[in-house]
Amino acid sequence: MNKDITKNLTEAVFKKASSLSPDDISVITAYVEDSILRFSNNSVTVVDTSKEATVFLYLTKAGRRAMGATYAVDPSNLDNFVDRLFTSMKFTEKSEEYVPLPKATRIPEARSHYDANIEGLKEKISDQGAAAVNAALAQGAQRVSGAVTATIQAYSIKTSGGVEASDQRSSITINVRAFSSTGSSGHGLSCSASLRNFNAEEAGATAGRFAQESRKTGHWEEGEYDLIMGPTVAANILQMVGYSASAFHVDEGTSFLVNSLGKKVASEEFTLEDCGVIEGGFGGRSFDDEGVPTQRTSIIEKGILRTYLHNSSTAKKYNTSTTGNAGILAPHPWNIVAAPGKMSLETMIAECKKAVYVTNNWYTRYQNYVTGEYSTLPRDATFLIENGSVKYAINGTRISDSIPRQLMNLKGIGKERKWIEWWEVEVPTNTPALLIEKARVTKAQP
Amino acid sequence: MFVRTEEIDLDLSSFAIEQAEKAGAQYAEARLHSTEYTVCMLKNGQQQPIALGRSSGLGLRVIVDGGLAFSATNILQREQARDLVEETVKKAKALSELLKEKIVFSRERKARRRWQAEEKEKLEDKNFEDMIEVLRELDKIVLERREYIPMRFLEMELSMEKKIVENSQGTRVEGYVPRLFISGFLTGMKEGRMAQKSIEYGGSGGWELLKMLKIRENVEHQSQIIRDIIDRAQKTTPGSYDIITGSEVTGIMAHESVGHPFEADRILGREAAQAGESYLKPSDIGRRIGNEQANISDDPTIPNSYGFYLYDDEGVAARKRRLLANGIVNELLHNRATARAFKTKSNGAARAVSFNREPIVRMANTFVEPGDYSFEELIKEVKHGIFVNSFMEWNIDDVRENQRYVGHESYLIENGEIGNLIINPVIEVTTERLWSSLDARGKQVEFWAATCGKGDPMQGAPVWAGGPNLRFKNMMVKTR
Repeated sequence: MNKDITKNLTEAVFKKASSLSPDDISVITAYVEDSILRFSNNSVTVVDTSKEATVFLYLTKAGRRAMGATYAVDPSNLDNFVDRLFTSMKFTEKSEEYVPLPKATRIPEARSHYDANIEGLKEKISDQGAAAVNAALAQGAQRVSGAVTATIQAYSIKTSGGVEASDQRSSITINVRAFSSTGSSGHGLSCSASLRNFNAEEAGATAGRFAQESRKTGHWEEGEYDLIMGPTVAANILQMVGYSASAFHVDEGTSFLVNSLGKKVASEEFTLEDCGVIEGGFGGRSFDDEGVPTQRTSIIEKGILRTYLHNSSTAKKYNTSTTGNAGILAPHPWNIVAAPGKMSLETMIAECKKAVYVTNNWYTRYQNYVTGEYSTLPRDATFLIENGSVKYAINGTRISDSIPRQLMNLKGIGKERKWIEWWEVEVPTNTPALLIEKARVTKAQP
Repeated sequence: MFVRTEEIDLDLSSFAIEQAEKAGAQYAEARLHSTEYTVCMLKNGQQQPIALGRSSGLGLRVIVDGGLAFSATNILQREQARDLVEETVKKAKALSELLKEKIVFSRERKARRRWQAEEKEKLEDKNFEDMIEVLRELDKIVLERREYIPMRFLEMELSMEKKIVENSQGTRVEGYVPRLFISGFLTGMKEGRMAQKSIEYGGSGGWELLKMLKIRENVEHQSQIIRDIIDRAQKTTPGSYDIITGSEVTGIMAHESVGHPFEADRILGREAAQAGESYLKPSDIGRRIGNEQANISDDPTIPNSYGFYLYDDEGVAARKRRLLANGIVNELLHNRATARAFKTKSNGAARAVSFNREPIVRMANTFVEPGDYSFEELIKEVKHGIFVNSFMEWNIDDVRENQRYVGHESYLIENGEIGNLIINPVIEVTTERLWSSLDARGKQVEFWAATCGKGDPMQGAPVWAGGPNLRFKNMMVKTR
């Protein structure tokens, strides 16, 4: 990968910005190469390749703040971009939220999230797609769709706080959906920072198996059920917890963790962290957008909300330290990690008298972000559990509940965790299955 | 002038096509696509860092022996572009050997045109001071109810999108769309009672959109409604009601339950693993989905619309599409690949939101066609009903059958008269039930801006959704 491009662009933009004498400068350049193979109905539909360099710039002057991003990275456009951003600040107001960029501290080198084998994959990406399709078909599926995405990214930063660092990361993900002859469907995925821990075949086989297992469907009634969220569903909800933990979203009113610091927000068995760099994680960086080393932050520890995620600006407001989660505008999680519990999926099922087991979901929407009232739609294999065993698959379900209530009602946490990232989970999340007591499941008027 | 579109190598698209053909592509399409944007935000009255940016680069599609490959880059030197073209052609060729079904595009008339959205007061003449002034004025309106609305977020974005779409079949179309978009979150909270509303107003055009979209009046209305809900909204009693929808609710219903499932790529299964499929099968043209009242269209050519365009990103002329006509499936949304699969012509629904995204089948401005009722006439005939004027929570399953809309501004209707505000009535209904319950349509159409998500990688496309007030008979309403 052409890593020099990031360092050269960062250096050039920093130099130009310095010539204008702002109070603060942070320049981050990202270079990203994506290879995507999409397939549907057992056949490849398109292959996508993108090679992109992006420059992010943050400037301040006398408490006025401006940030920008540009893909126009040739020298004359970049100079113009820096000039415009600087000049634009004169039209803005001095902000009470302004904090000088932090001074440099040592940024540990991150080695765990880049695998050169992903860069070397190139055309062989189609083998991964084929492995998934064949594995699903071998389970009895009739048609299979999905996408394999291989990504390599290089970053470099230079700030007026004295930070100069670079980092690179890689990821490979597959998302597979298999359909049986009756139209029942199953979903499987595999996500990894390294090729070694990636398993397209298993993702395909899981999708195929769920599609087959959900062929037999039966009746169910709207009402209260215990809910087993498979890791893909749990990741979707925990991503919402990560989003809600951002101090920016708390202030904005788009968080159900408003006024909850130090309070019990989940069952005491539940612990949730954000990790900048972690073995297996592919969402983070060794530094944040202010040049602060990223870290491991305990968001919820044994059910208690320990901290919000901060940048320097939100940290000042909350009279605390940054957690290395900048976002110049809004702090955000890098990799969300739930602590494992003790239960196997089989034990969860065995312990339930009346439950719904959801393997995948989509379209999570809130009625009110502060109360956390929401609904989401299970999709693919969804099973009715009665008296400790799977009765049959059910269709047309909707979880209509509240995330804070579900966190408090966590009755069991799985012992096996899985990394999840797909269409409905943007922040890589490592989570086991979760068992929630008494969740509301609704259906549509036919 | 603080937003400038710098010149880029405008012949790069022709160059890329030439190179692709030399390398063996039977079809090549290049898109030079640039969007400049400026953003201002106020969070609880505090100005956030201003933001400006530019997304610009080259998107390329080639077909070799039925294999389709897309590539994109913003590193626009010719040498790198040539390398990328060669790599893309090679990938398409490799892909063609794995295909069970070859990709073929419908034959379309070649186009050579320049088009642009009408812009009276040019956005490029506005600066951050102008934008902040607008947000401050809106913030002041919300602040008048500060004891009810302790948290508020307001954002304004101006963007200018330029593109050149060129292909190896002689098409070269240049388009320009400026857009203005204001969004926000108003969070009401008082003495344990809560209400929250996200707001979005947008269109294509210039600064004149501020007045045209009645943004000030809308923010005033939304702020007052939050106050009223907190002060006096009563619990909803579950049961069967006639429902009158406001245009915001009408629009989301049309968009979700007719617009999306009429996207031909979903029907063919191409989006199966992401955005999902459709309740429609390829043979369903002519199938009845609703009653005679159900008339739903999509039209990219509506002036000032947020989803406005005159040529799509495959260079095909845009036109109105009558999706559902008198309850019958009339026409799907097509790009050139799906049109060919359905043995028809593209109706210009291919959109890519950025240079680094593939053109895929998208809606533009989806709406229920107007009827002939006034609002008063619609209400007058309702004995026991609910007027759901706006919503917060909504979702729909991935074949677009099972949907839910939770009312925000909602009123009880008793004996033809609008009564008390009620709290969050929930409509959870199947598509056929919904459009078979439609009883009457108002005559006044209104539109609402939204960002519609589809694709992998995700593409958030600007759209309008709307229509008139609608009346549905005997709908089940619940409270969660």
